[in-house]
Amino acid sequence: MQQQLAQLVAAATQEASAVATRAELEAFKARVVGPNGSLTQVMKGMATLSKEERPVVGKLINEAKKSVEELLAVLLVKVENAEIAAALGASVDPTLPSPDAPAGSLHPLSRTRERILASFRKLGFVVADGPEVETEWHCFDALNTPADHPARDMQDTLYMPKAFRSADAPRKADEAILLRTHTSSVQVRTMLSRKPPFRIVAPGRCFRRDAVDATHSANFHQVEGLWIDRNVTLADLRGVLDFFVKETFGADAEIRLRPSFFPFTEPSFEMDLRSPNLGRLSNRWLEIMGCGLVDPKVLELCGLDPNEWSGLAFGLGLERIAMLVHGIDDIRHFYNNDTRFLRQFA
Amino acid sequence: MKVSFQALSRHLDLAGVTADRVAEVLPMLGLEVESVTTFGLAPLPLVVVGEIKSFDKHPKADRLSVCQVDVGDGAIRQIVCGAKNFKAGDRVPVALPGTVMPGGFAISVSKLRDVDSAGMMCSSEELGLGKGEDGLLILTPRQPALGTPLNALFGAPDTVLEISVTPNRGDCLGIRGVARDLAAALGLTLKPLAVKTAAGFASAPSAADAVKFVRSSSEFCPYYTLRTLKNVKVGPSPEWLRRDLEAAGLRPINNVVDITNWVLLELGQPLHAFDAKKVSEGIEARPAREGEEIVLLDGKKVKLETGVCVIADAQRPLVVAGVMGGVDSGVTESTTEVLLEAAWFRPGEIRRVARRIGVSTDSSHRFARDVDPAGVELASRLATDLLIELAGAQVAGPAVAVGKPPRADVTIELPAGYVAAKLGTPIADADVNAAFARLGFTVKPSAAGFSVLVPSFRSDVTRPIDLVEEFIRIHGTDKVPAGRPIAPLPGDEDALTSVFTREISARLVGAGFTECCHYSLRDAAELERTLGADKAALVAMDNPLTAEQTHLRASLVPGLAGALALNLSVHADPHGLFEVGTVFRPQADGTVREFISVAFAIVAEPVTRSWKSREAFDALRAKRFLQDAAALAGVASVRLSFAAATGGLWQADHAATLVDRGRAAEGACGVLDLRWTRSLGLKSSVIAGEVCFPRSAFAEARKIPRFEAFSSFPPVTKDVAVIVPLDIAAAEVESRVRQGASKAAGKEFALESVNCFDVFTGPGLPEGHRSLAFEIRWRHAARTLTDEETNQALGVVIATLEKGAGWTVRR
Repeated sequence: MQQQLAQLVAAATQEASAVATRAELEAFKARVVGPNGSLTQVMKGMATLSKEERPVVGKLINEAKKSVEELLAVLLVKVENAEIAAALGASVDPTLPSPDAPAGSLHPLSRTRERILASFRKLGFVVADGPEVETEWHCFDALNTPADHPARDMQDTLYMPKAFRSADAPRKADEAILLRTHTSSVQVRTMLSRKPPFRIVAPGRCFRRDAVDATHSANFHQVEGLWIDRNVTLADLRGVLDFFVKETFGADAEIRLRPSFFPFTEPSFEMDLRSPNLGRLSNRWLEIMGCGLVDPKVLELCGLDPNEWSGLAFGLGLERIAMLVHGIDDIRHFYNNDTRFLRQFA
Repeated sequence: MKVSFQALSRHLDLAGVTADRVAEVLPMLGLEVESVTTFGLAPLPLVVVGEIKSFDKHPKADRLSVCQVDVGDGAIRQIVCGAKNFKAGDRVPVALPGTVMPGGFAISVSKLRDVDSAGMMCSSEELGLGKGEDGLLILTPRQPALGTPLNALFGAPDTVLEISVTPNRGDCLGIRGVARDLAAALGLTLKPLAVKTAAGFASAPSAADAVKFVRSSSEFCPYYTLRTLKNVKVGPSPEWLRRDLEAAGLRPINNVVDITNWVLLELGQPLHAFDAKKVSEGIEARPAREGEEIVLLDGKKVKLETGVCVIADAQRPLVVAGVMGGVDSGVTESTTEVLLEAAWFRPGEIRRVARRIGVSTDSSHRFARDVDPAGVELASRLATDLLIELAGAQVAGPAVAVGKPPRADVTIELPAGYVAAKLGTPIADADVNAAFARLGFTVKPSAAGFSVLVPSFRSDVTRPIDLVEEFIRIHGTDKVPAGRPIAPLPGDEDALTSVFTREISARLVGAGFTECCHYSLRDAAELERTLGADKAALVAMDNPLTAEQTHLRASLVPGLAGALALNLSVHADPHGLFEVGTVFRPQADGTVREFISVAFAIVAEPVTRSWKSREAFDALRAKRFLQDAAALAGVASVRLSFAAATGGLWQADHAATLVDRGRAAEGACGVLDLRWTRSLGLKSSVIAGEVCFPRSAFAEARKIPRFEAFSSFPPVTKDVAVIVPLDIAAAEVESRVRQGASKAAGKEFALESVNCFDVFTGPGLPEGHRSLAFEIRWRHAARTLTDEETNQALGVVIATLEKGAGWTVRR
């Protein structure tokens, strides 16, 4: 009996080496441990043994059974591995490059814009917008810059023909339609459409009748800010701008407010920035933005009572900030769209 | 506006104040300093007067001379020189070794083409004195002693500050105005202005005057004065006057014109001098009559707009008031009687007229910024002093004045504590009032606080808020601390256009697209391609600057196609490009509407070779991008329909237009017109897509989605294939399948989805037909559907489909 079992296990082991598929495995399993399998037959023979022989033989059968089960387990892993290899194909060389294009990138102006908006959001400013083609009233008159005000000389404006009608900026009377020269027109639209208090930032495209060179562009981007509330002060303006500059240019950046003139703010300032981290522009006062307290006349023109409401406003050039932050020396790079430029800021 | 340090010193005692300090202080007063330059001879102790004793030709260089020069120290120096304009015996500036020239060049003992040279003889330009005659600065006529330092000959240099004056500060378009601000900032006192000519006017000319009448009948000239000056000797101005004008960037002409210019620079009040002999009878400021013309000083002939203010005599206009004089009434060498005009014109009108004529003069620039009416008389008197002193003029009597000063000093009621409240920091009213006093304002207590009397030279200060600015200019902005911490306002959200822009950009970046930014202003050819010639005309600008930027863009796609071409031309693989921005599109009602547009473009064949190929980007992938972008903008896919695109930017049969039933989106996708993209230098075809949303699509806050319960029972799916003629769009067949499948479901159960899973043309099908196969999925909310129900439903679908002409369901 012992010899018979040993032969059986040896035969099964030998036979197992030929098993490659799941079907062969099932057939092999049936031949050994199935109802008519060789091992099953031996186990059935136990009944004919004497009381004394049974424990001895039983032990031998158990050992043989254990060997066969181990054999089957090994075979199952082998068969499964073969199946997986068949399903997945050849192995992957993980050191090969991915054939897919990498993620794209945001334009440096968008990136700068989002960074600026994020810092103002922390101060409770939300984004507002308005049309790029505007009425003269929204762009100038409502901002306390009537026709023949010398402040109109500060910028040269692109106009649409008299016959032009904008669906987004309908005329109030027969005023000219123009390409907005600043995002300050969004101040006007916001004051007319919302109830104070509010704080908004308005990023957007502006246009001037300027020849294109390294620092001028026929269109450019601004971010406008407006805070209307009761008792808004110059200290608030300084607080807001100081926060923005430290967020954008680092904690060691400083600002100064240099008195200036805009028709829509009083008092008006140019905000200068000085930072040790701006390459060859480090440690110099650089003009960054115009700002001031909203002129009471503007509040009035936009339907707010200047005795109740006050405000602060500021406007900065996105290109200027992006150029300073990234050390870009020519504004035309932003509009050339050479991906060797665009992808540097990913 | 150029202001020299010496000029400022006429009005202020600037002892102990350097020009650098002035250049630091002025910007913080709102007077931006654009440049600081030296005017005159910089300190050059080693540049002295020398005499050229003799000279010979350089042995090795035809253009050089070897000169023997005596600078009065007992030795003769040999200096090689390239100039030609001298002779032996001439006295010239000699820069001795050790001199550093104004341009930074250091002079040393050296050899020039093997000949020793011990210094340099200088030209006017080399000394920083401006461009003089070619060659050496010949000092011979001045007869200076040998060895005299040149600085002793030319006097101390001056510093000229170029100031950018903002439009509100007309008062600083005169040196005295700048000095007044500087005095306030530095705590100095403005020196009084000494004028000898008596004040006071006559209301009409006397017999002694050169005119019979002086009148104003123009609303734009409320105040006009004219003075007769006799026995005037026109000639060159004295050195100091010429110097002052040159320092300010003006060219000296003759003493009379120079005096009017000098007073303009000094006080900011423009003056005009007529040759009295050329004036017929009298002077009137009047509206121009129809058809009148004038030849201006610059030679330009101008047809006068009816009604503009002119200064005329009895016969013709002589001057465009406040802007520019005519050629035939001005002062010349032969003038002996002068009429001196000092007046005030309406600022807005002067600006308008100057722009219309297309000139900007020192005069119009100042009148447009509201000159001080009280300064009119002062300027006339100061100029009269100088005409008497420098041109020997005699005054016939008082000047004649018509009208009266249109503005006077203004009193502003300033509530107590107002300035501190606007600054947001405690400031004592006494400090505020002290600052006003320094600016020349007079402060008196009043019931509410203070009465502040602002002189008429400050036309920009009329309200309490203007006084806040005046205070902070003098007080210093650095003394205002940063303000209170701010809490956000609840419920305030970003504009949806901004949210959308951010989200769609992030998605496209994630999908491998790189963002571009193109000019909004495009050329006519691009717009004609995009919109057709008729509609393109509707987005043309009125006053474009260049021929390349004449129209507003109607699509972002042409920019992107151009960017693909540019990148390929420089061998940079662009992969996909995208842009988000505003486009302008003509509407059926004749208006032009702004749309927020999202566009992308990618070359169909990969640019960079790869070891493993990927399926090419195609029109239907572009369609998916458009649908997703629309969904993000709140326009559900079911509202969108696609149809074959024709012409324009798009290639026929390979592109689609997108229409939204709710008119909240429009767009197109597919292959760009191949002839066009090839003309751009793109060899491969380009796949692009663009979807645009009107601003109004973002007007309403997005709804927060509500939960809908779904069935826990299994669905049943059935397939149906239908053979249809080729010209039937897939969308039409799908819609018919949906129609039948929903009808079959009725109210008992629900159609869950219809999905096209096979499109087949080829053997086994009738000519000109194709087969489309759909998987239909139904589900019941509360139980499993039976075979009988679904078979019956499929029957309804089949019956519906077979109603289509030439449609056959495959069995």
